[in-house]
Amino acid sequence: MRHRTFLVLVLLMALIAAACGDDGGTDTTTAEGAATTEGEAGAAPDLEGVELSLWGWSSSDAENQALTDLVTQFSEETGAVASFQPQAEYDVALQAALTSGDPPDVFYVDSFRLPDLADAGALAPVPDGAVSNPDDIFPSLREAFTFNDTWYCPPKDFSTLGLVYDPEVLEAAGVAVPTTWEELAAAAEALTTGDAAAIAAGTAQAGLSMGVEYPRWGAFMFQNGAAMTNEDNTAMTLDTPEAREALEFVAGLYQDGFAVKPAAVDAGWAGEAFGQGKAAMVIEGNWLPPAMDADFPDANYAVAELPAGPAGPGNFAFTVCYGVAADAANPDASWALVEHLTNEEGSLAWTEAFTVMPARESAAAAWTESHPDLEAFVAGADYAHRWGFVPGFGDVLGVFNPGLEGVVDGNMTLDQVIADTTAAGEGVLEG
Amino acid sequence: MAVETPPTVSEAAPATGPLKVGRGTQLKGAGSLGWLFSAPAFIGLLVFVAIPIVLTAWVSLRDWSGLVSPFNTEYIGFENYNELLFEDGVRRTDFALSIRNNFYYVLFVVPMQTTIAFVLAVILNNKFLRGKGFFRTSYYFPSITSSIAVTLIFLFLFQTQGAVNAILPGDAINWFNNANGLFHNALGVIGIDQPPAFMVENDFMGVTFWQWIAGPSVAMFAIILLVTWTTIGTFMLIFLAGLQSIPESVDEAAKVDGASTFQTFWHITIPLMRPTIFFVVTIGLIATWQVFDQIYAASFGGPQKTTLTPAFLTYFQSFRNSEAALGAAIAMMLLVVIVVFTFVQRRFISSSGER
Repeated sequence: MRHRTFLVLVLLMALIAAACGDDGGTDTTTAEGAATTEGEAGAAPDLEGVELSLWGWSSSDAENQALTDLVTQFSEETGAVASFQPQAEYDVALQAALTSGDPPDVFYVDSFRLPDLADAGALAPVPDGAVSNPDDIFPSLREAFTFNDTWYCPPKDFSTLGLVYDPEVLEAAGVAVPTTWEELAAAAEALTTGDAAAIAAGTAQAGLSMGVEYPRWGAFMFQNGAAMTNEDNTAMTLDTPEAREALEFVAGLYQDGFAVKPAAVDAGWAGEAFGQGKAAMVIEGNWLPPAMDADFPDANYAVAELPAGPAGPGNFAFTVCYGVAADAANPDASWALVEHLTNEEGSLAWTEAFTVMPARESAAAAWTESHPDLEAFVAGADYAHRWGFVPGFGDVLGVFNPGLEGVVDGNMTLDQVIADTTAAGEGVLEG
Repeated sequence: MAVETPPTVSEAAPATGPLKVGRGTQLKGAGSLGWLFSAPAFIGLLVFVAIPIVLTAWVSLRDWSGLVSPFNTEYIGFENYNELLFEDGVRRTDFALSIRNNFYYVLFVVPMQTTIAFVLAVILNNKFLRGKGFFRTSYYFPSITSSIAVTLIFLFLFQTQGAVNAILPGDAINWFNNANGLFHNALGVIGIDQPPAFMVENDFMGVTFWQWIAGPSVAMFAIILLVTWTTIGTFMLIFLAGLQSIPESVDEAAKVDGASTFQTFWHITIPLMRPTIFFVVTIGLIATWQVFDQIYAASFGGPQKTTLTPAFLTYFQSFRNSEAALGAAIAMMLLVVIVVFTFVQRRFISSSGER
């Protein structure tokens, strides 16, 4: 019976597909034809006329243009017809394309999403030799795109967190840039000049503004030698004295009124609170400088490394890679494009004009030279942890983040949050 | 697509047989022409409504992440439903919370939008009112404005420094960032700020009784006000059309019999408007159980999951958490909820009073 229903459905779908036009089909055949004519190892594949699409989300016009330029350069050098196509509602667009079996040739994959995509079999692993000099890529970033011991894609660039502060405000208050938790707490207290309502009204300033979520608070856990899960993501380690101490420290800053969540002071995110002068310090990443330039060109900021905790420094590496679909129409050409975008030349060309950092150690020095004021972000890479867990872990952060909000708002206890999150995490990790 | 298919349908028509009325060729042709003319709508319904529903039901029984073709997936029976309804865990709790949140949303929005729209329609139906066109347009205007644009305006209105806080007395709060339940707040006012022990110790579907009776959060209430404001215009127009179809002679007859204005309204207007009220409440119920865009733009399910709704959860599980089959299962459950509510209110409206 089930088979009959299934058959009817398939037939219906086939009818619809046939009726809805066949322009997708012709593309695939030409691409497949091209793929079979090439493939001699070592020799540059003949990409003349091969159509390639690169999907990503759009960050800014300048970035779209820079990536388009790089892709155009690839087309000119190889004869392929490659294009960058930024997608609105990226997740939905990509999912629809993958499901319909007609995925883009190359697409962005966030490190947090990688386990989901790899587990579903949607991504092709990196073929041997497709990416030049892989050891040059920061190991933590390669690891971020490794799932079940398979490396899936080379990183496009990365970002870390830094302590962004207003140097004038700190100087006026006689506060030194904090380098430890104690100094951070003292600085936040000294720089806070009123309560949330006054800060929202613009008549006072908070010492610190930071989103109430794991991708910020987690850094403090690392700084205290704690983590959400163990190294190989097989067990929850949130219910430890170290993790509790770290979360208590951060929650205490909010409860004392020295740190505010952005929404409490009418800001969409911490960067906005900083730009509006509602916070003297924020903890944000490499994406903050371009946002300041665009929205608050008069904002005065400097970046320092995150203060170190009792167990030393700790940070996150947020990164995105160029993935190739498992059923890509033209894998060789797709990997050639990925190589062009991520080799030493490509990764420096891409990051040089922007504030995101190159994923290759060989390019780091040149980047730091052109971004001396953002050196603290590069330093963070040395002790950064990966941003990503196992498939389905989004559910666990879906318990943790609202729980932290509850702690900050005073309607939940940290014990409750730790217990709930641990229970949720065990459910996911045991699979 | 529509151009190619009609011939197929008209070819098939003789097989099912045109109406045999025995009047020769003219009506025979009309039978297939009828099929031909209704074909575009019929195909549209089939392709965009019937097949998607069947497919949704089908994928909800499979282990489908949404990242590969659903046809290569494993059949897992009612596992997704089991996870949503019976298995202790995040997913059941989230689903229960989304049902709770949406229930309170419906509980507030449907009566508010129906009564306000009805009252406005009655006022606008007064033949001595001047400037009707102006009022009609201004009440209808929010309905034709993009819901995202309206939501963004409301975000500004309801923030700490927003206009709403400036008017209202008391402490300024960011409404869209406040997770406190209205009923909890009300209980707090009469001195019950600590839940009784049995209400926190016992739970249903992973949500404690105390949380079940929380009422809509302040954030959800802001969305309730927003949606009520944007939808009353549409329903007012529907009521207005209904009111205008009531013959004046009925009203006049009532007046001749000595009925007061209120008696006329209560005993003549409302019973005659029953079909329209039924229509508006039904449409309202269906739409409110599917609330999505305002949540997506304003709160993304937060603060503390108090604006999570089944429709939003479907989106979140399908496209953010790579659990498309689970999302499909939530969508099917939502369908059941809507059907049940529609039947219940249908019985309620048609049985209260003689038809």
